[in-house]
Amino acid sequence: MKRVIQKKVCLLGDFAVGKTSLVRRFVEDRFDDRYLSTIGVKISRKPVEMADYTLNLLIWDLAGGDDFSQAGASYVRGSVAALIVCDLTRRETLDSFAYYANQMRALNPDAVLIFAGNKADLESERVIDNEALHEISLSLGGHYLDTSAKTGYQVETAFQLLAKKITV
Amino acid sequence: MAHQPSPSEATNAHYDSIQQLESIRAILFAEEQTRIRILEEHAAKLLKTDKEQGERLQARAQALQAEIDALQQESSAQTETLQARLEQLRADITAESEALIPRLTGEMSGMIRNTIRDSRDEMAEALGPVMGDAIRVQIRDSREDMIEAIYPIILSTVQRAIAEFARELQRNIDARLKTTFGPQGFLRNLTARLRGVSSSELAMRDALPFNIQELFLIQHESGLLLSHWGSEGEDDGDSDLIGGMLTAIRDFARDSFGDGSPDESLNEIQYGDEQIVIQSGKHVYLAVVATGVEPEWFRARLRSFVSELHIQHAPALRDYDGDPASLPDLPPKLAQLADELIMPKEPEPQPMGRGQKLALAGGGLLGLILIATACVYLQFTIALWPLAFGKPTATATATTTPTATATMLPTMTPLPTNTAVPTTTNTPIPTATQTPPPTATHTPIPTATDTPTVLTETAVTNAPVWVREQPDIASTASIAIPADIAVTVLTRQGDWAEIEWPGSSGLRRGWIPVQWLTFSE
Repeated sequence: MKRVIQKKVCLLGDFAVGKTSLVRRFVEDRFDDRYLSTIGVKISRKPVEMADYTLNLLIWDLAGGDDFSQAGASYVRGSVAALIVCDLTRRETLDSFAYYANQMRALNPDAVLIFAGNKADLESERVIDNEALHEISLSLGGHYLDTSAKTGYQVETAFQLLAKKITV
Repeated sequence: MAHQPSPSEATNAHYDSIQQLESIRAILFAEEQTRIRILEEHAAKLLKTDKEQGERLQARAQALQAEIDALQQESSAQTETLQARLEQLRADITAESEALIPRLTGEMSGMIRNTIRDSRDEMAEALGPVMGDAIRVQIRDSREDMIEAIYPIILSTVQRAIAEFARELQRNIDARLKTTFGPQGFLRNLTARLRGVSSSELAMRDALPFNIQELFLIQHESGLLLSHWGSEGEDDGDSDLIGGMLTAIRDFARDSFGDGSPDESLNEIQYGDEQIVIQSGKHVYLAVVATGVEPEWFRARLRSFVSELHIQHAPALRDYDGDPASLPDLPPKLAQLADELIMPKEPEPQPMGRGQKLALAGGGLLGLILIATACVYLQFTIALWPLAFGKPTATATATTTPTATATMLPTMTPLPTNTAVPTTTNTPIPTATQTPPPTATHTPIPTATDTPTVLTETAVTNAPVWVREQPDIASTASIAIPADIAVTVLTRQGDWAEIEWPGSSGLRRGWIPVQWLTFSE
């Protein structure tokens, strides 16, 4: 029987970028068009099978917002990784990448960062190009992927990458 | 040169060709023409048949119309009859509503029972909102009636709940009684008394139902679950999520209502009958889901548990990174704590082993020997005390003067007349056996001791005293007799008296100092 190791990871990003939808797609493999703003934090669990062990990801889906409040900082403590999400149809959400990445690193210096440009299915409304995303993710020391919680595009890949980057 | 036909020849040729064509056509279309003719004949037949059928259908329709008219007339007549009947029934119901209720109730209840049995969910779904509204309206409009109607049900429910509570209380009190009479129980009772709480109040407080449902040991910073214990045994798999959410709630409370310092933290969440008691440590905290009234020692025990855990395993708790292999064996510790919290039991009496039984028997025997030795020692001590140290009152120098009174005693002995009866039985013995010793030992007072005075007085020993074979302190002491024993004084010789008293093996005799006797008047 494989040993089970649990790790705390966070989802960060501005409001309505699709953090909760990404978690729902990853954990429950479903998507809901209705938007319900997360209050405080919602915690989900998803086991990811690795070669020698099972990684139990405890995913803290934090409420999005411009102000990374004191409570938000408390929730981030003890996380070993974060998926920082922006909305490809809203440029301002990309500008927050650096803020969340710095907050995360300030509390957890060795944290793994993965950046996700969500809503990739809305091609016609896309305002952020891959080049800008690639550039900013490199500067912040993380990896970048386009995702779509609606279609499921690269959602599993993003979390699998997160799991692989977490050192045990 | 080619021949040019004349117009007549041309016309003839034309007619010939037409005839030829007609012939060919007749040959070619002969079959079709025959078929067309047949079809035409068939069509004519069909037309004839349709006409006949149309006539028949028309006749049928007329007949049906007549039937419909008749039925309509009949139904209208029936409707009128039914309406009249309904009116009659309505009038009857109105007139005899009270009489109808019992009959309808029986029918209705039967129908309702059947429906509930056959389609319970549908009934509940259908009746739920209606009943809710009906109850609300009834409560609003006729509160007293509703109370009267519901009272028996509520009363029975409350009685059951109270009875269950009382049974649990009784069980707890019984369990407490077993532990109250130990040293700790006594100390607790004493402390409670000093604080103005009676023993019964303390017992009641201790016996109030209290139960532990779950224990969570959670790392502060990450909210990762280190260990979990549940009263149901099997973990439902969500304990790690609960651990995370508890941590989030604590963080939220601290950041929202406190000053954000780690010292200020949520230590209790109450919901319904259940409460989550949180005992915080430096690296981990313990969350206990409990029901009932917590005993006074409960939080102290949680504190000591968390404290001991940190003392023993602080580095492991601090560095926990989600890999249980890096942790000490925590589940047994939590299980033990849960046992203690649910009911702090005295150790159950175990059946004694052979060695223990032997030791107990030896101890008992030794105890008996010690008690017997102590009795013998005490008996000798008490008996020898007066001889060794004299009677406390007699040690006074004043008793020297009573020696004069002692000499007076012989003057009192001229009562031989009274001893007539005893002398018949007792005189032979003292005269025969006791005369020589006085002459040998009491020469200083030969006048008094030459012949022992024969008496038959009765007296009572005023202290435990040794009885001797001769009226001499140096003679052998045969037995000690206790105080308040009635004796018969047979003879006197100086300060000594020969007495007789009933012993266990018949009458016994011997000598004792006179001072240990109290003579009756």
